[in-house]
Amino acid sequence: METYDVVVIGGGLLGCFAARNLRRWDLSVALLEAREDVCTGVSRANTAIVYPGYDHKPGTLKTEMTVRANARFDTLCRELDVPFKRCGSLMVGFGAQAEAVLRRKYENGLAAGVPGLRLLSGAEALALEPALAPGVTLALYAPSAGTVNPWALGVAAFENAVDNGAQPWLNTAVRGIRAEGGSYVVGTDRETFSCRALINCAGLSADRVQALFRAPDVRIVPSAGDYLVLDQTAANAPGHIIQYEPEDGGKGLTAVPTVEGSLLLGPSERENETDFATTLPGLDFVRERAGRVLPRLALEETIRSFAAVRPNPQRFDGGSVGGFVIDNPAPGFWSLIGIKTPGLTCADELGRHVAEHAAAYLQAERNMAFSPQRTGIKKAHGMSCEQRRAAIADDPDYGEVLCRCEDITRAEVLQAIRRGAVTVDGIKRRTGATMGRCQGSRCQQRLVQLLAQEGNIPACAVTKDGRGSEILGGGHETV
Amino acid sequence: MKRCELLIVGAGVAGMAAAVAAWDSGCRNLVLADRADRSGGILPQCIHEGFGLSAFGAELTGPDYADRWAAALKRTGVQLLLNTEVLSVTETKTAILSSREGLGELGFERLILATGCRERAVGSLPIAGTRPAGIFTAGQAQALINLRHQSLGRNILILGSGDLGMIMARRFTLEGKRVIAVVEQNDHYGGMARNHHRCIEQYHIPMLYRSTVSEIHGVGRICGVTLTQLDSGRREYISCDTLITAVGLIPERELARGLGDPDWLYLAGNCHRIHQVADSAAAEAEAIGKRIMQEGQR
Repeated sequence: METYDVVVIGGGLLGCFAARNLRRWDLSVALLEAREDVCTGVSRANTAIVYPGYDHKPGTLKTEMTVRANARFDTLCRELDVPFKRCGSLMVGFGAQAEAVLRRKYENGLAAGVPGLRLLSGAEALALEPALAPGVTLALYAPSAGTVNPWALGVAAFENAVDNGAQPWLNTAVRGIRAEGGSYVVGTDRETFSCRALINCAGLSADRVQALFRAPDVRIVPSAGDYLVLDQTAANAPGHIIQYEPEDGGKGLTAVPTVEGSLLLGPSERENETDFATTLPGLDFVRERAGRVLPRLALEETIRSFAAVRPNPQRFDGGSVGGFVIDNPAPGFWSLIGIKTPGLTCADELGRHVAEHAAAYLQAERNMAFSPQRTGIKKAHGMSCEQRRAAIADDPDYGEVLCRCEDITRAEVLQAIRRGAVTVDGIKRRTGATMGRCQGSRCQQRLVQLLAQEGNIPACAVTKDGRGSEILGGGHETV
Repeated sequence: MKRCELLIVGAGVAGMAAAVAAWDSGCRNLVLADRADRSGGILPQCIHEGFGLSAFGAELTGPDYADRWAAALKRTGVQLLLNTEVLSVTETKTAILSSREGLGELGFERLILATGCRERAVGSLPIAGTRPAGIFTAGQAQALINLRHQSLGRNILILGSGDLGMIMARRFTLEGKRVIAVVEQNDHYGGMARNHHRCIEQYHIPMLYRSTVSEIHGVGRICGVTLTQLDSGRREYISCDTLITAVGLIPERELARGLGDPDWLYLAGNCHRIHQVADSAAAEAEAIGKRIMQEGQR
């Protein structure tokens, strides 16, 4: 039996931030993750926006948390050494119906205290963002909106949690939960855990994980959305986040100039889908909407399409849930169920929130040794010549570029592996390798070799994204 | 800062041919840089025959063809920098070079980019579905099989019937794998008739014309694709454990981005335009190597 003060179930963004914030207190913390790495579920595909906070009703936990989280985001990313781009957003409307939506959000935002919010005329919006379609009639400008790489943030929170003493348990899937003499016993396919407080951050499975103990009032009805990624060289890409409100009140589109320099377009939306598979109508929808709002955008520079899955919380009578659901099925047990947009923005705030509840429940003292600082992998790209020269002198692996598209060196890849990447996608999430225009067709083999060498396993055992995704020798076992 | 008269980036056939021609035309301060640990570019993985008919009057394999050019290069005094990545080129005619030995700046008077091409990746195609393991570009598969001796899968579907797609169909067959079909959206194969005859017909590999892959299936590893017939719209599930994409080559000119069109910059070989045969890339590069020296004397 493994005994901890608190067990966190789920190593997505929320679980990693819960573990990080729990260590602000003098509590022993275990983080249980079913997969081989963190951020492989809902967190792996996301619109990557740090929202300003005008989308929801003022006065709600969701809105208050979003505005607060947004204001803290520079500090958070500085602490965790993660790139953050506060590029601002323009929600653009075409026609009266869309304008009404924008004005309502503007009022919401003012009431919620969103800084710098302005309504711009079509001409003003075009002056600020020339890539827009000329027909724009009104725009809501939010200079505080920004973008962050969700994986980079999640991995950073994980590393910071572990640096502060949280114990990660990877490849550990929860099978049962029961209460026993004031504690919880969590059964997994490996060890059995005993804890006094339990935080459920199991993403798409959060409702089912809680149901192992007591069924929640809500269930998760996933919906999928399709995205396109355009090369950083794509002409006429916007410099701001663009959120398009169509004239007919229908579903719009978001365009995000990512921190890596690529442009993210999406999502389409499909109900009741759990697999990370795109559809042709979904991809067509994204292209068509992009053509409306960014008419000169070089869509032919698409380098990838992918699907994201959102955990929508729904009541059993079918009613939808507007706010964040933080369930408390029993003393000392908190469940984050169906945290969708703006979950990325609020990840650290939600982590703080549940950590404070758990600390109060356990009457824990502050952990004076906690350090919020984490140092990321030093990136060769963006260094000055002098810095890069010094980096190579210090570590010759910085001289060897492995991923040409994104300018990522062997040194960065080796550090990613030494920090816990065990798959090609794990390297991608930590370094950005394979994310560029060739999508790994040139560097994947080098990554496989390094994973094999560092993990002391044969190359044919290396996977793209966990068990069953072996890259080489495919099909041997089906004979 | 070190300086040279001519910097050539890429020691594939075009880079070597340009270097030899420039040397033979009198250029004596010439640097040829390549990121790989050997010259030859893509040729060492092209172990099939068919190279050099016009340049050497013989039908050679890719490695042998590369060796001929390497031998020609060796008799010159061209300075060959291997394991060297050219990170960027500035408007002030300076290249930033990175290697395990350090970061260097190299000034030049003229620059030939012979950086070849890259393959269009599956992500750029309008194909829906999942993004599992088991999808390779044809060139990536060729390198894995011919240089790394790896097995990629057993039941192979190939999308695209350019030369590389057809050559890989034969290569997989020779490896003992089952090539289910080569799928082509047009009503005629894309590559040369010679390759169609030698790689497809002689090995009885099925061709599916006016068809395309519209969806990829599989979690973890690919388990099949949806094939759509373009004329009837008919869709069909085809089981496979490997998908090879041979859907086009894109000249690799990232180093030239933002430079405009200065009179000191030349593009040679596949980085200029996609050549059907290596000899054609070599001939174009040789002509540029010669011309540069003539222009330099003016």
